[in-house]
Amino acid sequence: MRPPDLIFLACAAILGCSRAQSKRETVLTFSGSALGAEGTLVAKQLKRFMQLNPGIRVELQRTPDDASQRHQLYVQWLNARVGNPSILQLDVVWTPEFAAAGWVLPLDRYQPQRDEFFPATVTANTWAGKLYALPWFADVGLLYRRTDLLAAEPKSLEEMVKNAQAAMSRRGGPRYGIVFQGARYEGLITGFVEYLGAFGGRIIDEKGEVVVNRPEAVRALEFMRDELYSWRVAPLDVLTWHEEEARFAFQNGNAVFMRNWPYPVAAMSDTAQSRVAGKFAVSPIPASANAPNGHSTAALGGAQLTKNNYTEFPDAAYRLIAYLTAPEQMLERAQAVGQYPTRPALYDDARLRGAIAIPLENARRAIESATPRPVTPIYTELSEILQIELHRALVRQAEPREALNSAAAKINALIERTGMRKLMQGASKT
Amino acid sequence: MRKISRLGSEARLGWALVAPALAVIALIAIFPLGWTFWESLHLHELRMPWLGKPFVGLANYAEIAQDPRFWAALGHTAFFTVVSISLELLLGLFLALAMNRVFRGRGFVRAAVLVPWAIPTVVAALLWRFIFESQGGILNALLVDAGILNQPMVWFIKASTAWVPVILADVWKTTPFVALLLLAGLQNIDLSLYEAAAVDGANAWWQLRHITLPLLKPAILVTLIFRTLDGFRVFDLIYVLTGGGPGTSTEPVALYTFNALLQNLRFGYGSALSVVIFAITFGLALFYVRGLGVRLGGDES
Repeated sequence: MRPPDLIFLACAAILGCSRAQSKRETVLTFSGSALGAEGTLVAKQLKRFMQLNPGIRVELQRTPDDASQRHQLYVQWLNARVGNPSILQLDVVWTPEFAAAGWVLPLDRYQPQRDEFFPATVTANTWAGKLYALPWFADVGLLYRRTDLLAAEPKSLEEMVKNAQAAMSRRGGPRYGIVFQGARYEGLITGFVEYLGAFGGRIIDEKGEVVVNRPEAVRALEFMRDELYSWRVAPLDVLTWHEEEARFAFQNGNAVFMRNWPYPVAAMSDTAQSRVAGKFAVSPIPASANAPNGHSTAALGGAQLTKNNYTEFPDAAYRLIAYLTAPEQMLERAQAVGQYPTRPALYDDARLRGAIAIPLENARRAIESATPRPVTPIYTELSEILQIELHRALVRQAEPREALNSAAAKINALIERTGMRKLMQGASKT
Repeated sequence: MRKISRLGSEARLGWALVAPALAVIALIAIFPLGWTFWESLHLHELRMPWLGKPFVGLANYAEIAQDPRFWAALGHTAFFTVVSISLELLLGLFLALAMNRVFRGRGFVRAAVLVPWAIPTVVAALLWRFIFESQGGILNALLVDAGILNQPMVWFIKASTAWVPVILADVWKTTPFVALLLLAGLQNIDLSLYEAAAVDGANAWWQLRHITLPLLKPAILVTLIFRTLDGFRVFDLIYVLTGGGPGTSTEPVALYTFNALLQNLRFGYGSALSVVIFAITFGLALFYVRGLGVRLGGDES
């Protein structure tokens, strides 16, 4: 064993992973979001699972709620081949990385029903043709609009800009037309992916080629820039904004449109803290009217569950995953914390209606239009490259074409450096 | 003969007595450094176990040499260090001269001045971030009210303006420390020199140039060495204030290294970056000690 592995092992042992492993009893450890209402829900569901499976004990292993911190911990543990936590909660963009590293194994031998999940959520969890994790809940980018200022949802991005300008120029109209997440972080990529789809572009195509500097992509980025500098419907402030700043602006009645995830709906519907309660609606982000291949696109977020490759109890672990991602538990999750089920069939279930705050049909349309971010083991580094170049273009340090050319060159270099070229070509044939 | 052997045994005893201390130094300073260097000679990507962990010689260093983001980060670090330290020295000297005067409440003033230095950097950085925030930031509100700006300014989307809060925050936080070091230097100066100069008819400016500054030189150099090394390793302040943005135009080397090592988990490349930073700071320290003759020990020159 190499010395670094020893160190990680020691750390992992200190962190409390060595509980009762030698006994015959089947003990699973579950790690994942366990704060507040979500924590109560998880505890309840785990307890029920243990009652249904008397031979299995499930323990909760706390991990940081912050995604990148949890990622870092997982990577260190898995490098040390630690078997706990036996159930991992993966962010939507991690699955290929964990799969390619051999930290998680394909779930296909348990024959999960792929077609019962939204296709995009399955694609995001598929690497080299195999399914490595089950989608637990889905997050999608949505367009929020003020219903007191606009009659209908915009049919295209161009119409959205026009609507925004019209509403802003009305007497007493809001200060901002469109607010989104434009700071240099992962959120910027999700917004870009949506505009990219709207203009018919992609970051990486089916053949594994980097196409982020093609004309459609340049047009998408130019459109974002024009919102800021030409049409002035988006304030420059968004270039430092994350989700919450955008929510504050919209919630205080300062914006006509907002790009955000589903989570703010609840807070913004509360008259005690929101000035737009009852005055907003949510719809899918529209396509561009001037792009023949453009289609309405939502970035896909959300969480997946999978089992640790090094767990002693793979079968029991899968049973827990299957239980937590079963329709009943998903429905309960939606009712308790408002997270969107990843099973389309549930959107026909009347019980879901009160659980998610927006019309089921709109939620389903948005998830159906969802596109995973590039499904590749090197996503995190790819994303960092793109974050920097997109931000450079948006703050006008570089022209959009120049920034995207630079991004493409760097992504290609990354693919070469990591030996991903062949793998990515193979992976797309599924 | 006897004398030599006695010296030898004394030397042996001496070595035996310092051995524990040397062992501790080896364990906490030299061993990690050596390990980092060893890592830096490997391709080791924690996220990509399929690449293995091959020995690659100096390939990581070659990559650094060709990495424009590294050179840019080095430039930002040098810029930050030079600008902030110059301001801190000037203001610190001014403060120290003022505090060296005899006046009522001097003790209180000396303690009060240290408050910014006592605040943890991350807290101070957040404080300055709130001040410079585009929406609801105090500074924008003041500037707009005073008619200096027409509308709130977004400080963090231009490199030139993003540096303003960074440097201000560092100067605000570190000037007291500089002032304190210089004050200690000032108090070592013999007052009779000033009396003699006054008798000779030297004015205040002449006294400052020909008595205070030359005699303060050792204190100034010690301050410089501390501050340069700190400046070169700046991390938390910029991490909180700008995150290195817009783009990467305020990213210092420490932040870039953190990013490679702990975000991307590129242990080989990140270790190479750490070694380079170490070499640069070590070189700077050596330059100060040897080149400028800073005495860190107690012996008088």
